[in-house]
Amino acid sequence: MAKDMEPVPETLLDIRNLSVDFRTPRGRVKALRDVTFPVRKGRILGLVGESGSGKSTVLWAILRLLAGNAEVTDGQITFQDRDLLGLGEGALRATRGEEISVVFQDPMTSQIPVLTYARQMFDILYRRPNLSKAEKRRMAVEMMEKVGIPDPASRIDQYPHHFSGGMRQRAGIAMALLTGPKLLLADEPTTALDVTMEAQIIHLLQDLQSETGATVVLVSHNLGLIAELCDDVVVMYAGEVVEAGSVHEIFHDARHPYTRALLECDPARIPDVSRKLPVIPGDIPDLTRALKGCIYASRCQRVMPECHETPPPAAPRSGAGFARCHLLEGPLRDPDWPPPQDVLTVSRGGAGAAAAQKSISDTPLLEVEDLNVRFRTLGALRARLRGVTDPFVDAVLDVSLTVRPGETVGLVGESGSGKTTLGRCILNLVPGESGSVRFEGREILGLPERRFKPLRRDMAMMFQDPVGSLSPRKSVRALITEPLQIHGITDLDLDAEAERLADMVRLPKPFLVRYPHELSGGQARRVGVARALALNPKLIIADEPTAGLDVSVQGEILNLMADLQAEHGLGYLVITHNLPVVRHISDRIAIMYLGRIVEEGPAEAVFRAPMHPYTQALVEGVPQPDPDRRRAHVSISGEVPSLLNRPRGCDFATRCPYAQEKCRREVPPQFHPEEGRRHACFFPVN
Amino acid sequence: MVVYLIKRLGLSLAVVCAVILVLFSLLHLIPGDPATIALGPRATPEAIARYAAKMHLDEPVWMQFLIYVGNALTGDLGVDVFSDRPVTTIIMERIGFTLSLVFAGMGWAMLLGIPLGCLAAVRRNSWLDRVTGVLSVGTIAVPSFLVSIWALLIFAVELRWLPAIGAGEPGDLGDQAVHLILPAFAIGLSWVGYLARMVRASMLEVMGETYIRSARAFGLRPRRIVFGYGLRVAILPTITLIGMGFGGLISSTVFAEIIFARPGIGKLIFDSVMARNFPIVQGGVLVATGLYILVVLISDLLIAWLDPRVRETL
Repeated sequence: MAKDMEPVPETLLDIRNLSVDFRTPRGRVKALRDVTFPVRKGRILGLVGESGSGKSTVLWAILRLLAGNAEVTDGQITFQDRDLLGLGEGALRATRGEEISVVFQDPMTSQIPVLTYARQMFDILYRRPNLSKAEKRRMAVEMMEKVGIPDPASRIDQYPHHFSGGMRQRAGIAMALLTGPKLLLADEPTTALDVTMEAQIIHLLQDLQSETGATVVLVSHNLGLIAELCDDVVVMYAGEVVEAGSVHEIFHDARHPYTRALLECDPARIPDVSRKLPVIPGDIPDLTRALKGCIYASRCQRVMPECHETPPPAAPRSGAGFARCHLLEGPLRDPDWPPPQDVLTVSRGGAGAAAAQKSISDTPLLEVEDLNVRFRTLGALRARLRGVTDPFVDAVLDVSLTVRPGETVGLVGESGSGKTTLGRCILNLVPGESGSVRFEGREILGLPERRFKPLRRDMAMMFQDPVGSLSPRKSVRALITEPLQIHGITDLDLDAEAERLADMVRLPKPFLVRYPHELSGGQARRVGVARALALNPKLIIADEPTAGLDVSVQGEILNLMADLQAEHGLGYLVITHNLPVVRHISDRIAIMYLGRIVEEGPAEAVFRAPMHPYTQALVEGVPQPDPDRRRAHVSISGEVPSLLNRPRGCDFATRCPYAQEKCRREVPPQFHPEEGRRHACFFPVN
Repeated sequence: MVVYLIKRLGLSLAVVCAVILVLFSLLHLIPGDPATIALGPRATPEAIARYAAKMHLDEPVWMQFLIYVGNALTGDLGVDVFSDRPVTTIIMERIGFTLSLVFAGMGWAMLLGIPLGCLAAVRRNSWLDRVTGVLSVGTIAVPSFLVSIWALLIFAVELRWLPAIGAGEPGDLGDQAVHLILPAFAIGLSWVGYLARMVRASMLEVMGETYIRSARAFGLRPRRIVFGYGLRVAILPTITLIGMGFGGLISSTVFAEIIFARPGIGKLIFDSVMARNFPIVQGGVLVATGLYILVVLISDLLIAWLDPRVRETL
């Protein structure tokens, strides 16, 4: 709060009237139009928007690293009295990495795999010829230490693949801060990380910023991250700035209908656990066409005829903030807008606002009992030479789980928890080592594929990567009916079937002739749902059903899944790391850690009163989209241990703040403290 | 690493044995008695019996095979049917001519093809890229014996700049180098095209990677980005190709050696096939195979040395 009251600090970076076009085969895409905002010195500015909003284009325009087909048609980017857009190549190189530096989105792909960190960091310091190699090395090691990399003097000589995801991002931050830049650009710095790692990186960025006083521009779609870290926020939509203000203004007094809608769609902000999530209907407009009026008009709930004709005026707010909307300024001003915060301005998707009554049957659909999956790590010869007697890792350990018809079970875990392996083993895609998997009472573990195939009609998979899992050479019609053809169902009219399925997932008919690359993320998901539904399955295993979707459309998919469940009594096993989502759609939740289920119970109870310390850390680790609820501390430190060295005793003991001697000695059994709940902790927290 | 080397060497040995088996069976599948073939139709029965005993032809076939494998692995590839000289000695005399030709041919192709592909990728759609594109398809499409004949006609017969045939005076390195130019040009030309295309394609892919954008965002010099980051990764698949190319060239120099009358392995094998001198054919093919396996192994180790991710999985 205090920062809002300070006098306006000087502007470090000033973006004025920035317009960028992309030349594409479809015509010129006007990706940015008249983008203007200042970045004030010593503050963290959040640039928030969904895909297609142009937030990353702004970031790359600052560095002049836009794609080759981009063209800056207008505007200035002033950095310390220099127009970056007018700099020559040499001056530009002296600025990049030296005065303006970047933390990249995905540390897995943004660091060159064949050079050590030491080599990469020396390369960045090439503009300091008066430093000796030893001095450069000392600087690099110090920076690695500062970002919390243990044993930096020796780890600096390692390659990126030796580092875990969280450590890589720490190293990425070290590289960005090595030269002491005045401006740090952070492009979705935690998107590729797990919840507990995300919390640690947020904390690190907070500490480093307050220590160095650097100015930060943080680009993200994650409202929680923005609320947690930023002082000022700029909201972008389809290439325009629609609203700007301090973080409190944006999160507590959003004025633009889009900002309001965006906040309302975030499942983390919805207090009740109703099945139906709010959605913003429609898609962003085609930016190759001539645009007039308000860019958001086609999706706005409060649209007026003038909105399509006249560009909205900027209604100023305190400081440099503003919101562009006819409702706020000019003759169409509505004094009652915006409504109080607890009033929803967007509808909860589709027909029947309330979730349909669920009926969960008691006969289990899928029963997993003490399932174990092991993977071989070393060949027989190598294992013998290295004296390894047990060249296996346990990816799934003694897992028991039940899914009943009409029920949604959320399977939550970070990367390496074995959740995806479990799903694949149920579907007979990886062999199980021991235990039992029963489908409608029949043992299916280890069935040969020939006998398993008929079962695949009853058990469908929704894959994680919606576009990648669709063949690019097939039309939507062919893709939807592919499962029917695989199972040799020929007595149906395939065209009629394709239309029925498309209708079921609310995909308009003209889309049937399109190809996957012509679909948006949400549409590709719908095709994935339609494929899963094609054979009228009883069980759907959904792997990260909303990964990569914008908040305004992820509700559509989840609402659709809920409707289909109510209609057909489907059982869902939803595999995800996204806690706010899983809370809204699940009846029961199982939390996995290093291959074991550490807690299971009704979704609502698990979130309200988690028993296992790991569950507690996950629940508390999700950044809240509310600047008043910033965390003071990080709940768990360290990272997920490698499966190759599973800790002795409780798997979580190495990171658990409450771990005791017993935890490091004995593996905790499953406790059943109350009906329908279980956990694996000697000292439960609630 | 040690396990990897053991595995690779074991595998190489298996390939060599398989090649020996094929060569050996070939000899026995050809109609006629080897001794009769070797000594000619007018040999006396005594001479044939003597020859058969000397060559172990009276032993069972599997025994003959084992004797041959044992001999081959100890470096004894038998003797020339006509001159009675050891095959190993004959091959060793000739192998230098083939190896120098292969190294010279691949060498100039690498020196030209890799930078050309690299530049074409960095200056995509420039005139250099377009010219490289057309020329590389052209050089790949023209067979090397045609290039040899035309090079011979133009540079040796018409212009008289370079010698036409032979490998140069023994002991005179300068003369040998001059004699190397035309055949090396002929066998390397299509490899310039191959390498330029290959390097261009993988450079284009690598230069689009996020870590190249990172390097740009950190303000590194373009030269460092192209060679230290881009080519460093893009060269890896090309090394495999070069390794296989070396191996392939060892056996395919036969055209160039015939046309330019170089006394290399290719010509040796060709002449021996014509003269039905089977021990030399066998030995020559075996040595070519061994060299091929060796070069591929070296290229794999080179990749492991350049790429830590590969190195650690060995």
